[in-house]
Amino acid sequence: MTKSSNIKEPHPPGDFAIWIIIYVELLTFALLFTGYAFSRRADVEVFNASQLLLSQTSGFINTLILITSSYFVVKAVQSIKDMTEQTAKSANSSAAKWLLSAIFLGFLFLVIKVFEFSHIFGMGIHLSTNTFFMFYLLLTLFHFMHVMLGLIILWNIYQKTKRVGYTVDDYSGMETGASYWHLVDLLWIILFPLIYIIR
Amino acid sequence: MPNLKNIVEIVWLILVLLTLFTFLLGLFNTINTSIVAVLLISTFIKAQLLIDYFMGLKNVRLRYRIIPSFWLFIVISLIATAYYYPI
Repeated sequence: MTKSSNIKEPHPPGDFAIWIIIYVELLTFALLFTGYAFSRRADVEVFNASQLLLSQTSGFINTLILITSSYFVVKAVQSIKDMTEQTAKSANSSAAKWLLSAIFLGFLFLVIKVFEFSHIFGMGIHLSTNTFFMFYLLLTLFHFMHVMLGLIILWNIYQKTKRVGYTVDDYSGMETGASYWHLVDLLWIILFPLIYIIR
Repeated sequence: MPNLKNIVEIVWLILVLLTLFTFLLGLFNTINTSIVAVLLISTFIKAQLLIDYFMGLKNVRLRYRIIPSFWLFIVISLIATAYYYPI
């Protein structure tokens, strides 16, 4: 998704509609992030004690998974952008491999989150346990749904690459889906230190 | 200077290293008020790298790039305010 030219692209990658969605999502999560940070001031001890019940290791592994998955999606887009009419088949095939790897990692993220949620719910924790867990569950469950939607989008892009559906002139759909997947990663990059680490 | 196309590999490596740094600080329970600032700066760098090189906004007109970058600046600043500004 990078260009070596100094000339600026007139529009962000993909369909502009996805960027409207991205901006709205950023605003929504900004309210939740800052809501968490300011609510913590009223009950620092409860927030710090509750945070100790979370697995920092699973948060760390999931961050690595999403970063790497996002990187694989960048490589898939690069494969398509670099293709010529002669290399369309091999470029789509290469993009399909990158996308399948990204989808696998996204799925792994969900599996780890399910284990984490079952551990939390197994301790009898729910939305009304305290303010920390209300924010933790709201943020992570909301993000979880975004990962699921992202995976559905990536799967559809993968299917199109399998049909050699992207051409030199038409790969905007792939960039649109990729932009959404990077949003999912961007949100987690802030969520991980905020909820799991900073105290 | 590395080709921009290969920069994504370097960016991925920086993201992994900064994530490891964040995790180790938490693991060894070294979080205090000064470390919070370091962690927030590290988070800002990671998110900005992702916006520029993974989302591909580095070479897009400023009016589009500035929106997520400004969002990031505001969010990190508000979190820092919540942690540092006395009640």
